[in-house]
Amino acid sequence: MRTPNYLDSAPVFNRPLVARCPQDAAAALRLARRPLSALSCSRPERRSDQAWISGSLVQQCRQYGDLPPLTLENIKDRVMYVLKLYDKISPEKLQVSSHFMKDLGLDSLDQVEIIMAMEDEFGFEIPDAEAEKLMTPEEIVQYIANKKDVYE
Amino acid sequence: MAISSKSQVLSLYKILLKESKQFPSYNYRTYALRRVRDAFRENKNVDDPKTLEILLNRAWDSLAVIQRQVAIGKLYSAQKTVVETEGMKKAS
Repeated sequence: MRTPNYLDSAPVFNRPLVARCPQDAAAALRLARRPLSALSCSRPERRSDQAWISGSLVQQCRQYGDLPPLTLENIKDRVMYVLKLYDKISPEKLQVSSHFMKDLGLDSLDQVEIIMAMEDEFGFEIPDAEAEKLMTPEEIVQYIANKKDVYE
Repeated sequence: MAISSKSQVLSLYKILLKESKQFPSYNYRTYALRRVRDAFRENKNVDDPKTLEILLNRAWDSLAVIQRQVAIGKLYSAQKTVVETEGMKKAS
């Protein structure tokens, strides 16, 4: 099972609640890929609250973890990456606009498998009625962007 | 059994693959996935409604078997095989 490399930073634990926190502490707390149940809670990263504790000004850090936000470019890269891993598609012939059935010579069973791979990659279900209409990588990217409210 | 149509067959295919992926055991999982794919591909061009119905009933029965065996496998799961851990190490 491969993991995409677009997430760097390792998770940071045991961070003291009251501390001087550098500006990028919030960014450093980005956790690695989490299961679907955790994806839905995305809270904005708070700036540190200042508080007076025992006479001296101390910054309180509160950090939240979340995946980096999806962009159209990112979705497209991941979709193409998953398609390149599929062994019935030759990577040279694959383009963003290549039709699965007409250009790449796949059949409906293969298309079901491709959509399932996309479901696994992005972590959400795609209902069958809408899945059978997605025939090019471009359409898949558009569909995911619509579902995930990604726009530019 | 409902009248078979293309979208029903594809839904059944998807359900079978999804269930097969849940096997904790590497051997059962890879066998189930491979067998489902091969069986559907082999009978891709069947037109006769009677054979279609027989095949679909077989598929529904296989789905029930897979679901039961997945549940049992999860109850008594064993260690991950070397093949799986190797793959995970390479990925990380």
